[in-house]
Amino acid sequence: MHDLPWLLKPTDNFNERCSMLASHKEPVREILALANCALTINQSNRLYRAIQKLSAEIRAVLYGTLTPFKLGIVSNATMDLITPPLVTAAMRNGVNLEVIIADFGQVAQEALDPASKLNQSKLDAVLLALDYRAYSFFAKDSAPFEGKSSHKAFSYLQQIRESFTNNGGMICITQTLACPPYELSGNFDAQLDGMLRRSITEFNLTLANDVRNSADVMLDVSTMANMVGTCQWFDERQWYTSRVPMANTFIPFYAEYLTKLITALRGKSKKCLVLDLDNTLWGGVIGDDGLEGIHIGQGHPIGESFLAIQHWVKTLKELGVIIAVCSKNEKNTALEVFQKHSGMLLQEEDFAVFIANWEDKASNIRRIAEILNIGLDAIVFVDDNPAEREIIRTMLPEISVPELPKDPSQFLGILCAARYFEKIDFTADDAQRNAQYASNFRRQEIQKTAPSLEDYLISLEMHIRFAPFDEMGRKRVVQLINKTNQFNLTTYRYTEAEVLQFEESDQNITFQIHLQDKFGDNGMISVVICRINGDCLEIDTWLMSCRVIKRRVEEAVCDELVALARSKGMHKLRGFYRPTEKNKLVKEHYPQLGFEFAYSNDSGEVWELSIEQYQKRNPPIKVEKSSVIV
Amino acid sequence: MKQDKAEILEQLELIFQDTFTEINHTFSIDMARDDIEEWDSLSHIRLLTAIEAGFGVQFDLDEITNMNNVATIVDLLSEKLQ
Repeated sequence: MHDLPWLLKPTDNFNERCSMLASHKEPVREILALANCALTINQSNRLYRAIQKLSAEIRAVLYGTLTPFKLGIVSNATMDLITPPLVTAAMRNGVNLEVIIADFGQVAQEALDPASKLNQSKLDAVLLALDYRAYSFFAKDSAPFEGKSSHKAFSYLQQIRESFTNNGGMICITQTLACPPYELSGNFDAQLDGMLRRSITEFNLTLANDVRNSADVMLDVSTMANMVGTCQWFDERQWYTSRVPMANTFIPFYAEYLTKLITALRGKSKKCLVLDLDNTLWGGVIGDDGLEGIHIGQGHPIGESFLAIQHWVKTLKELGVIIAVCSKNEKNTALEVFQKHSGMLLQEEDFAVFIANWEDKASNIRRIAEILNIGLDAIVFVDDNPAEREIIRTMLPEISVPELPKDPSQFLGILCAARYFEKIDFTADDAQRNAQYASNFRRQEIQKTAPSLEDYLISLEMHIRFAPFDEMGRKRVVQLINKTNQFNLTTYRYTEAEVLQFEESDQNITFQIHLQDKFGDNGMISVVICRINGDCLEIDTWLMSCRVIKRRVEEAVCDELVALARSKGMHKLRGFYRPTEKNKLVKEHYPQLGFEFAYSNDSGEVWELSIEQYQKRNPPIKVEKSSVIV
Repeated sequence: MKQDKAEILEQLELIFQDTFTEINHTFSIDMARDDIEEWDSLSHIRLLTAIEAGFGVQFDLDEITNMNNVATIVDLLSEKLQ
């Protein structure tokens, strides 16, 4: 998997295309097309250098299409080879990555000194690229085979993590350790305390448990090394000559997986999996082969290959990925497979949207995005047919379309390895997501029959709940802050550490907002962060999940904000609108709520509302509880 | 696979062009590490991997530290490909 088989191979004239970038008609489109390929380390190096030579204007346009992220790297090894593969992999995943690498071997110095390069760089995250050689598993002062040597190693890592968090305010990307293929006593290495294999196993498990409950995240290098085989992963010649930590062939693979994690930190993991049917979820063509002729289920090698894919889809659904179908078929013929074939694991109700018709797939996928109210860049489309893949890639370049070989037994490995749905967290909302989308459809059904929008909203029996940020909700708050694009007035992104600061500061008032209706609990759907500035309450962040748009929730929130300001004797609300590519939806948000335009500056518009003159909106939403105003 | 030195040199040129983005001098058997600014210890590792993959050979530690000019690399390859 280290050669990224889910991506297209670069064309034969790749080098030429890199050197022609400056004179290309659409250089940004061309750069993204090149970065989107499975590049070797030499190819990413070439593309990286070609981009650096472009004019500042072109680069500004390129970076404008990407989400910025500033990453520091410390390591006990040489990491300089990684910058080009990492930056190009980030582009492929929608991120403009700025990489700052600490000087060789300066791990502790960088962490402990508040004035160090990394601590001073206002990083979004620091990668602790430490392999097993960074830790004192074989400390001189401890007798071998006594006690757990992983404790010492782990407490060293904890010290580094805490120092960066305290001194630099960034989150840490930690690494599990790949275990080198050297053994002393064979099978017994896993059993005897103090043996490297056992120590590394303990270390990795301790780390995973610890990170799960912290703001930091974990890059599972051990799993990467296992995927390619540790005999291949470690190349001692490269370590001894240049301190390269693993064979450099694998650097693009490492860079891609690191990027997936960064993408997830920015809330840009994919949200929706759109599947073809024939030869993608079962073997054969239902329209030609009929129910008896297709292969799906136990007892047939082809049928079992596709059953494995269905298992994967089902698990993704449980993890919160939205599942949809887009197939060229008669709808009833296609549905019959789900209803009548005993080998099928997936059922019709597993899909949020099911489109089977003879229209072109690009239009159908656009429609799916509209129905679900998600961006095209949040969609992965899986189709066994190279022609269909090609059309979608051309018509909708924002969509991720994995390459697949002919052999269906290979599909699952490739789809998994592409890591489209990288998670850094699992919230209660994730577990309920598909149920929420399903009830959304029932809500839409009612909308069709309800006489007016107002009646519809009343019929929903909505209940809203306001609470300040707290530990229980923090992860979901961070998730919303980092992935909400459309209903987001300022689109400020904050890390968990920053969210905690808002939570604890007495200069800030925070709101997590939950909405319930007769179809179920929508969970946390809105977040507001206010700042106290004299007699004025300034709204730093106001965002809302698209699931509850057009339900007058924002009016209920505004009523609450005004009530809060009144209770504190304040006279004004001040809101900011920072326009982005994606938040045109809320352009009229403040005027619609009665705010008056104050002025605009480089970053956007400033709107103000006089508390005295505010007319309470009273939308048909019952305030169940507010623990913010006390 | 047996290859004469001229063939090796030809294939090697492509690998050099792939590894280094700028080769100012005309590629030749006389070229050495000093002639390519980009040829530092890290791109040496990239070059090594590209040659190993391109020719299907493996160099040992001693050879890696000594392959500092095109002539040496051609000699080593010609020996390995015998």
